[in-house]
Amino acid sequence: MNTNDILLAVLVLIGAPIIGCIASGIDRKITARLQGRVGPPLLQPYYDVKKLLSKDNMVVNPSQNFYVVVYLVFIVLSLLMLVFKQDFLMIIFVYTVASIALIVGGMSTGSPYARIGSSREIMAILSYEPVLILYALAIYLLTGTFKLSAVVDASSPLLVYTPLIFIAMIVVLNIKLKKSPFDYSTSHHGHQELVKGMTTEYGGPGFATIEIAHFYEYVFLTGLIFLFWASNPIIGVLLGIIAYLLIIVIDNITARVYWQWMLKLSWSVLLIISIVNIAFLYVSGVQLA
Amino acid sequence: MSLAKSPWIIHVNVNSCNGCDIEVVACLTPLYDAERFGVLNIGTPKQADIMVVTGSVNYKNVNVLKNLYNQIPDPKVVLAVGACASTGGIFHDCYNVVGGVDQVIPVDAYVPGCCPRPEAILDGVVAALSILENKKKGNIKGKEVKLKGNEVPSNA
Amino acid sequence: MIENTVMLLIIVPILFSLLFVALPKSLYKYLAWAFFIIGVALSVNLVLDGTGVVQIGEPNFAMFENIVLILEVLVILFILAVSAKYKNWPTLGLGIVSAALFAYTFTNVPGAEGASFNIDQFSQIMILIVNIVGTAIILFATGYMDEYEEHRHLHRQKTFYFTMSFFLAAMNGLVMADTLGWLFLFWELTTLCSFVLISYNMDEEGINNGFRALALNLVGGIALSIGIILLATKYEIITLSGIGTYAGTDAAAMAAVALPVALLCIGGFAKSAQMPFQSWLLGAMVAPTPVSALLHSSTMVNAGVFLVVKLVPAFAGSSLGTAIAVYGSFTFVMCSALALSQRNAKRVLAYSTIANLGLIIASAGIGTPLAVAAAIMLILFHAISKALLFLCTGEIEHTIGSRDIEDMSGLINKAPLLTTLAALGMVSMLLPPFGVLLTKWVSMEAASSNPVVIVFLILGSALTTVYYAKWLGTILSSSMDKNAVPHKKPETYFPLSFLGLAIVVTSIFVFSIYNYFIKPQVEILLKTAPVISGQAGQFTSEIGAFAYAAIFVVLALAVLIYLATKNMFTPRTSSYYMCGENNLEKDRLMFRNGLCSYEKSSVSNIYLQNTFGESKLTTLGYAISIILIVIALAGVGL
Repeated sequence: MNTNDILLAVLVLIGAPIIGCIASGIDRKITARLQGRVGPPLLQPYYDVKKLLSKDNMVVNPSQNFYVVVYLVFIVLSLLMLVFKQDFLMIIFVYTVASIALIVGGMSTGSPYARIGSSREIMAILSYEPVLILYALAIYLLTGTFKLSAVVDASSPLLVYTPLIFIAMIVVLNIKLKKSPFDYSTSHHGHQELVKGMTTEYGGPGFATIEIAHFYEYVFLTGLIFLFWASNPIIGVLLGIIAYLLIIVIDNITARVYWQWMLKLSWSVLLIISIVNIAFLYVSGVQLA
Repeated sequence: MSLAKSPWIIHVNVNSCNGCDIEVVACLTPLYDAERFGVLNIGTPKQADIMVVTGSVNYKNVNVLKNLYNQIPDPKVVLAVGACASTGGIFHDCYNVVGGVDQVIPVDAYVPGCCPRPEAILDGVVAALSILENKKKGNIKGKEVKLKGNEVPSNA
Repeated sequence: MIENTVMLLIIVPILFSLLFVALPKSLYKYLAWAFFIIGVALSVNLVLDGTGVVQIGEPNFAMFENIVLILEVLVILFILAVSAKYKNWPTLGLGIVSAALFAYTFTNVPGAEGASFNIDQFSQIMILIVNIVGTAIILFATGYMDEYEEHRHLHRQKTFYFTMSFFLAAMNGLVMADTLGWLFLFWELTTLCSFVLISYNMDEEGINNGFRALALNLVGGIALSIGIILLATKYEIITLSGIGTYAGTDAAAMAAVALPVALLCIGGFAKSAQMPFQSWLLGAMVAPTPVSALLHSSTMVNAGVFLVVKLVPAFAGSSLGTAIAVYGSFTFVMCSALALSQRNAKRVLAYSTIANLGLIIASAGIGTPLAVAAAIMLILFHAISKALLFLCTGEIEHTIGSRDIEDMSGLINKAPLLTTLAALGMVSMLLPPFGVLLTKWVSMEAASSNPVVIVFLILGSALTTVYYAKWLGTILSSSMDKNAVPHKKPETYFPLSFLGLAIVVTSIFVFSIYNYFIKPQVEILLKTAPVISGQAGQFTSEIGAFAYAAIFVVLALAVLIYLATKNMFTPRTSSYYMCGENNLEKDRLMFRNGLCSYEKSSVSNIYLQNTFGESKLTTLGYAISIILIVIALAGVGL
């Protein structure tokens, strides 16, 4: 840990929520435009969080806010580990802690709606986690190590060798950002069959924590897409932005599906194309230059 | 200012004929686009700031209204939309009707009309915002409304 | 010094088992406390004594050898008698085969001049597990069994404690013995004890399941004894460490002993309830919870993986090793999928145990130093976590009267301490920074060179997360009703808290444990140490790094942030959102319907019975696992 590292960490801690907040604002703006509306101001997510922090801390049980704090700090930790190019497998496990914390937080309230949302989110884990770890495996096969520094230091992009995993990761991004057609654990429009899903019982500061964690999560998840072209940061960032915009468009043109449908899609199509990609890497034995 | 920029509403229908509800929903359409002002129709009281009530209150749903009101964290305001919600409207002397919303929970703003136009409803929301800000500044808490168990008409 | 400790480790549990028979029931509590303290002292003493080989030569050897022979005859006679009494013909047949094999060994295999106990770091770890976790389970039982027997109108506690203590003695012998003949005796003794314990209830179900365990373990025992006979007659190997010395790292020698080694491994698979043998472990669920905990975590099943890991030098890097790795990882993914569909908490735990043992066997099969280190560490961490989870399930069952996961919702309101401990156990099974996940990480990194194994591990790992997450969420969910009577006996809560503490402490000091026990052991087994560098707080292998200390710090930070901000915002509590239809008069989980009467709202987790149900997957699992074993045997036979 030298001064540069600490500066970078502070930069990430402050910068990531700002970027995430703007990304979320862009999302709402584009969604409004696609529906032929003017839409809220770009900084609307910031106003929302500020408002939520000024409200009363209404809880069902005293421990429910603990889980969202765990969710927040572990998202931040996984983002920091990504920035510091740590072991990718480890990052996925740390990220799992965050996801589980949010699920347990939802279930801990005991509300029927929150428990429906949490059960579905557990199924989402079953759908996306294998793909994420296969992505890590692809990085290992290409570089001989799970450490991300090898990917970043390489001169050729990852995407050239892992196009199928990239496609699978776009769907994973869709699932993780809880966008339609996979928005069944928390819906963004709260008057539906599951109200607000996992977050039904969170209001005020607790919900603000979840929103802030989402800001970090936006940056973390697009960071995973960035890795596909990390050799050239500009193209990598562009790739991340394009993927994000693509997700917003998909969100607006699709309707919610059954969770069973997602599970089938993931365990048939996504897993198989990822494994085909992995098999290709094994057989060809290519290395990232 | 933070509250005024992001008012999230919960829409409660107590015994309404659905006329007002259609107008409330119309506010969210591209023509009126309430989200311009940061208004979101949120489904759960835990995240709401403004409670928009339509329809007169009857004995069957008194507890529902009280429960939802108690579940909204402070600061909060209640907006009675339509003639029925404001006074009981044409149903005011029905055998099962308690009256306007203010018979059960404190109401901060009224939007009269049968049905009120979407512009009027949006105007009511904007009026509610300044009340919301005042409540925040004065640290005024809404009192918890006590439930009495199953409500029955006193003459029954 | 070390000789005395070794002898004491076998004699003291036997002494205690006799004391349990001799003394009245009112004294069991004190006996169990004494046993726990002595067990901890003895096992720590063994670790302090260091490693070494204890030779038993003349003049004592002849006497011991005779005792061993008499015991073996007694074991076989007991099996024959009991299977004849209950008219269980398959078991009788297997018993006769065992007897024939024993007679063959006695007449045709030349006798040895001495026997030896080999105390290496792995044995030390096993001794620690058996004597600390095992005695903690017996201590728990003293607070548990009275109520259990009261429900079922049983009075068999003398048998129970006698067998439990004797089991520990047999297990201690098993993990220390180096001479294969003696190891086989202890092996059969654990089989016998497990039969007695599983059929403890003496009802039809218990006896059937007991016989199933006996029969399947006899199959394993027969494979084991054939392997031992082959080793002794063909290669003149009579010790466990001798196999490693013979095979070394020499490919030709490895291929030569491949068949007996494969047979020994099959014995290990049966003991560890791997896929075609898994039904005995599931059947063992009918026994009282302390029995399940003892069989699943610290003793019985660990004997199998112990043997497989000890045999690593004889198959590391060979095609047999690859076959074992594929087989183990297949069991891992299959049993994780089966666990997903279970509502019964004990069955979830049983499948989880089998899955984790599969992971251990897969790691051993991969055979790289890193993987073997992962296997040994997983045995340790899994034993502690699983013992805690089983005991918690037993106590939960006494608290709410059910072992159905769905009935456990709202447990945190009813028994906070118990729920916290159970949650700690579950979290330690699936999330970093706890030991099990660390070893899963190590084994995944080690397996990444084998495509089939790693894909199985990835799928199994995702399934594991899912079935623990939904259980964890269920017990931590709050509900308004409080119909539960938490039992607060020190005998039950002390072992639970002790095991919970042990999980945290071992996870924090994982690097010291690695340095002291595992690294030297891997060097003994494979002649090379895993390339794990780094300091305390971080695990760095050649292909990655696991900064577990950072996660502990962040976890502590989360607690601090939560406590600091708890009162920053005006706190208020309310009931949860039920569309405003919360009722006050009744349990608040009820909706009021259109007729003004009440209807219970109930939400259940997703179990995917139609996809991962036992009826869908078990046959497939049997078929594939048997094919895998046949392929492995055919591979070494050719």
